[in-house]
Amino acid sequence: MKGNTGKIININLSTRSIAIETLPEEWYRLYIGGSGLAAKIFQERGDFSLDPLAPEAMLIFMNGPFAGLKLSGASRGSVAGCSPLTGHWGDSSCGGYFAPELRYCGFDGLVVTGRAAEPSLISIEGEQVTLLPAAQYWGRGTEEATRLLKEGFGKDSRSMMIGPAGENGVKFANIIHEGQNAAGRAGFGALMGAKNLKAVVVKARKKEMALADAEGYEILRGDLNGRINDALASSVLRENGTAANLIGGVYSGDVPVKNWTSNFWEEAAEALNGTTLTEKYLTRRTGCLYCGIACKRIVEVKEEPFAVPEGGGPEYETIVAFGTLLGSLDLAATCKASRLCNDSGVDTISCGATIAWAMEAFEKGDLTREDTGGLALHWGDMTAVLDILLPAIVKKEGKLGALLAEGSREAARRLGKGLDYTAQSKGLEAPMHDPRGGGYGLALTYAMSARGTCHVADPMLFIEMGARYYPEIGFEYILEPQSEKDKAAAAAVSVALGAIENSACFCQFADAEVTIPDWLALFKTVAGYEWDAEEFLRAGRRIFYLKRLINGRYGLSGKDDDLTPRMRAPGSGGEADGARFDLEKMKARFYEIMKIDPESGLPTKAALADCGMADELDKLTAECP
Amino acid sequence: MLYWKDSQEAVTAITGLFAGVANDPELGESMKKVNQLILFDYSESGPGCAIWVDTRNGKYEFGAGDPPGAPDLIMSLSADDAHLSWLNKLNPVMAITRKKIRVKGSATGLLKLAPKLKKVAVIYEQVLKELGMEDKIVK
Repeated sequence: MKGNTGKIININLSTRSIAIETLPEEWYRLYIGGSGLAAKIFQERGDFSLDPLAPEAMLIFMNGPFAGLKLSGASRGSVAGCSPLTGHWGDSSCGGYFAPELRYCGFDGLVVTGRAAEPSLISIEGEQVTLLPAAQYWGRGTEEATRLLKEGFGKDSRSMMIGPAGENGVKFANIIHEGQNAAGRAGFGALMGAKNLKAVVVKARKKEMALADAEGYEILRGDLNGRINDALASSVLRENGTAANLIGGVYSGDVPVKNWTSNFWEEAAEALNGTTLTEKYLTRRTGCLYCGIACKRIVEVKEEPFAVPEGGGPEYETIVAFGTLLGSLDLAATCKASRLCNDSGVDTISCGATIAWAMEAFEKGDLTREDTGGLALHWGDMTAVLDILLPAIVKKEGKLGALLAEGSREAARRLGKGLDYTAQSKGLEAPMHDPRGGGYGLALTYAMSARGTCHVADPMLFIEMGARYYPEIGFEYILEPQSEKDKAAAAAVSVALGAIENSACFCQFADAEVTIPDWLALFKTVAGYEWDAEEFLRAGRRIFYLKRLINGRYGLSGKDDDLTPRMRAPGSGGEADGARFDLEKMKARFYEIMKIDPESGLPTKAALADCGMADELDKLTAECP
Repeated sequence: MLYWKDSQEAVTAITGLFAGVANDPELGESMKKVNQLILFDYSESGPGCAIWVDTRNGKYEFGAGDPPGAPDLIMSLSADDAHLSWLNKLNPVMAITRKKIRVKGSATGLLKLAPKLKKVAVIYEQVLKELGMEDKIVK
């Protein structure tokens, strides 16, 4: 096998068994890697009747084929399985250094099952895989635990770990890498915690990889890195981070305010944008391994009440989730929120969104002081959020902390109120892009995403902005954001491309410069796949369908491809004032184009046959009631 | 060119726009916050077809031809596309993606200005009317 190593590690923490497995090469060719290959493994081996936190539940770490190949944007990896937050398929992507290091050790991924008898960690040093006690790291924040692990395993070791939130079973706990990078979505930190697994530590001894055409790849790599580094979007991201264009989002109505009750807060454009972050708090820039974009921030806030020592800074999603969404314009508070969430190991999107929901519930009287333990929840009260509420959630402390640690959908269900004003789909809290302003196509892909509301499941956000087009495959739509016109057709291509990005574990920022011919050349020189554009897109559709099939096994259907009433209500304020999308119309057309049965939400046999996966539907039919 | 009889006509209209912007308190202040020397290079539509705006250190100066120093940002496009963009009829992100606009230098200032394009377009339409170029307004 070229490109991929072909090998994964199967670890059962209950029995302490460790086995190296060579996966069928065909699986790589069909499902690429990352979340696609993880989905194939899950589909083949998953027990769909399990509680997401049951010991037998699978936790999958999976690389893409380009990890470690010194290419901008290619150093990401996936974490996947049944989401503890949503109860169905989930996957999450993480940048940084872990995926290349795992590749250098000779593995494409690891599948973890079972539950360790005591707090443990998995050490992968070269090809040596060991299960070690980790009591000395348990209970510690990710910053301290990372430092201690580097003391123990070497400063060039790389780890994926949970913080106290994962240990405590917070449903939106994430997995943190190097204190700043997160496999943020879908709550896999809770699954890792349920397994008594504090960390996976990798340290390579060599950096050898076999490519199908090493010489051809080097030429391609040089060209791509040059183009990615020189792109205007890259320079903007480098200069002012992922919040660089928050200002544009504010004016278009893309930035949600106060739990999606408003689309416009003009002062946020200046107060919270990336330039302001650069001017006030940035100390230096950083990025993922081999990436020339360097969009990540290192910040320091000196002034109280939200002072934070120099360390990882907030990205766009965190700035909005702990800014406008909570009724705050305090950029320092977002820096502190980012730091606390990363150290505790909680997803800033789900956490911010759940707190925003709670604030509205309190305002409406649906959540009373009896429910909150006497705490008043008011928009913009960031001292209460950061000093009281966030620690309570991380510890699942008190009635309110335990309630909110379940995420917004489950919290509303338990409260028996407020489900209509959660902002989520399939149980995953929406990211900080409001389709009423950002673009109606995003509403469609939010609803269609297998893991739930997701802006990085596919590039629709960028397509509607005008930042992506693919003339090589005749994809040259000029889309009006606040219109349904052509959105289903664009989404059909977008979901296939997104599936490839997430299976190849490629960063969406870097991918903006990667054309379809570039993608074909990457797969050819690295893995030896002689794909044309149609075969390439077929792989994307195959993966998109597979994740829907998995959700079908969890009982999800077409009705779950939906957004909450809050997200579907007319926009309020600014450019998005009165904006209202017709999701049903877009869905119907999308199903038609994608050959998806509207009732079951499953791809038809014809669709699966087109993608060479008819056998997958047979499995579903046989195993479902 | 589709909209201009010659490049001088384009220069006249667009420098008129920058004069109009100067007279608008909100836009004038917004421009100063950009704090850059920007060159709008339309020379692909004719020699000397270029306009610069200098908002460094609280200034607001503009002119045609060579800029007074090394620009912080150069935007290269045709005079026709410039006309459409000032009328807010050209999505700048899309134009950049499709290489209709080539950008060199720091685009931070432009990101600040992008939300103001609607208001700029209103002033531009007014300037075109005052210059007797109403027929060039694209609806």
